[in-house]
Amino acid sequence: MKRSTLYPLLVTVVICIAPLLVAAEKVGQAAPAFTATASNGKTFRLQDYRGKYVVLEWHNNGCPYVGKHYKSGNMQRLQKQWTGRSVVWFTIISSAPAKQGYVTASEENEYLVKMQAAPTAALLDPTGEIGHLYDAKTSPQMVVINPQGVVIYDGAIDDKPTTDLSDIAGATNYVNLALEQAMAGKQVETPATRPYGCSVKYPDSTH
Amino acid sequence: MKMRGSDSSRRFPRAFTFGVVLVLYAAGAQGAETPIPHGTLELVAENRWVNPGHGFYLGLHFQLEKGWHIYWVNPGDSGEPLRITWQLPPGLNPGVIEWPVPRRLGTSSIVDFGYEEAVTLIVPVHAESSLAEQPLARLGAEIRVLVCREMCIPGRTQLSLTLPVKSRPPAPDVRTRELFAAARKDLPRPAPQNWKFSVDDAKDSFVLAANVAPQVTQAIFFPLAEAQIDNSAPQILQPLASGFRLTLRKSDRLLKPIERLKGVLVLSGNHAYLIDVPVSKREAQKNNSGT
Repeated sequence: MKRSTLYPLLVTVVICIAPLLVAAEKVGQAAPAFTATASNGKTFRLQDYRGKYVVLEWHNNGCPYVGKHYKSGNMQRLQKQWTGRSVVWFTIISSAPAKQGYVTASEENEYLVKMQAAPTAALLDPTGEIGHLYDAKTSPQMVVINPQGVVIYDGAIDDKPTTDLSDIAGATNYVNLALEQAMAGKQVETPATRPYGCSVKYPDSTH
Repeated sequence: MKMRGSDSSRRFPRAFTFGVVLVLYAAGAQGAETPIPHGTLELVAENRWVNPGHGFYLGLHFQLEKGWHIYWVNPGDSGEPLRITWQLPPGLNPGVIEWPVPRRLGTSSIVDFGYEEAVTLIVPVHAESSLAEQPLARLGAEIRVLVCREMCIPGRTQLSLTLPVKSRPPAPDVRTRELFAAARKDLPRPAPQNWKFSVDDAKDSFVLAANVAPQVTQAIFFPLAEAQIDNSAPQILQPLASGFRLTLRKSDRLLKPIERLKGVLVLSGNHAYLIDVPVSKREAQKNNSGT
C-alpha cells in the first residue's frame, strides 16, 4: 500500500470541497429550492409543490445498486404506489456528460418506457447542481420532503446495502416508513441513514 | 500368474491415487487465483497444515487492475465491504477480518475508504482440539465483493484450498510468508499506553485531542462507524506543544449523540493506531449554556 500518497491527496480534498459544504441540506431543515428541466422537456420547480409530499430519487442506470431496484421492479412499484397517493416523485440524474449514467432527454424517455418507470418526472442535472444542493452521495439516494417543504428523510432506500435482488424481500424500506409515519401524523423514526450505492458521477468525481 | 496379474492391476490405481495425493499436497496450502471483476482473488493459508487446538490465519489476497479498488469495513460515502460465507469443516471456527489501514479514495465531495492495487485481508481461524487428523481438509469461502473505479461491478466468487490436519506444531508456508508479513505490517496497532486521547462533542464537530510526543504534523482519522463524521470534510490539525488537536466535521446524517469515537488514526510517518475514545459533551454544554 502506498500511503505516502495520502497526504497530498488530503490537501486536494480540502481545496476542492470547501465551497460545497455550505449549501447542503439537512434533515429537519427547509429543502433547498431548485428548478430543473425534465426529460419530457417540461420545467419543474420544487417550490411549486408545497402542500404535497415530494420524493427525490438519485438515479444512474449503469449502477448495479440502482439495477437491483429497477430489475426487481421495486422502484417502479414504489413510484406507482406513492404517486397514486398524490406524492410527487422526482427521479434525478446528476451524472455528468461522458460519465456513467449520463443520458440525453430522449435516452431517458426510452428508459422510462422500457423499465415501465412511473416517476412524476425524471430531472436532468448534468452539472450536478441539484445533487450538490442536497449533498447526494450515491445512487439510489432518497430524500423525502413534507408538505411544509421540510426534509423529513435523507439516506438509503432500505436497510440492505447490497446489489442482490434477493435482499429486497426482507428489507425495511425507509422511504415507505417515512411517508407512512409522516402521513399518519407521527414522528419519522429513522429520519437519516447512510445512503448506499454507487457514488454520484459529478463532473469532478474520480472514483 | 492370475494372482500376480490382479495384484499389479490393483497396484496401479493405488500408485496413481498416491501420486494425485502428492500433487494435491504440493499444491495444497494455496488455492488458485480466481478471477473477480478487474482483478484476481486467492485464498491463502499461513501454515502448511492445521494443528488441532491452535489458531492459524487464512488470507484473501486481492490483486486489482490499476485504478480499481475494493472497500474497507467502513466504505465511506459509497460502496460496500466484501462479505464472506465460510465453508469450513466442523471444528474450524473463523474470526473476523483484521482490516489493514485503508486509503482515502476520491478528491471530490464523495470520499470512500478502501484498497487499490494489491491487499491481503487476513482472518484468524481457530481449530478445535477435537478436530481429527486428515490428509486433506477442504477450506472454502464464497466471497461477494464490489470492485469499483469510476463505476462499480459486483463480483461473487467461490474460493477453496486444501490443507492437511496434523497433530504437530504448524510449519509456516514459505510461499505465503511475505504476504502475511506485509498484511500485518499494514494493520493499525493499539496506541501506546501513555498516550491520552479525548473527544469533545463541539456542536458541528468532534474535537479529538491527544498528548502525543513528538510533535505531530500530519493526522488522518478513519472512522470505523458509518455516518459519524463527514468523510469529505477537511480534517483540521492543530499541532500543539503537548500533542495535537484534530477537528472532524460531523456527518449531516448524525442526528443523535454518540458514546464513543472509534477508528484508525494515521499520524506522521504512516504510523497507524486503533483508537476508541469516549465522547464528552463538555464543550457542547458550554456552547448551549452560552446561547
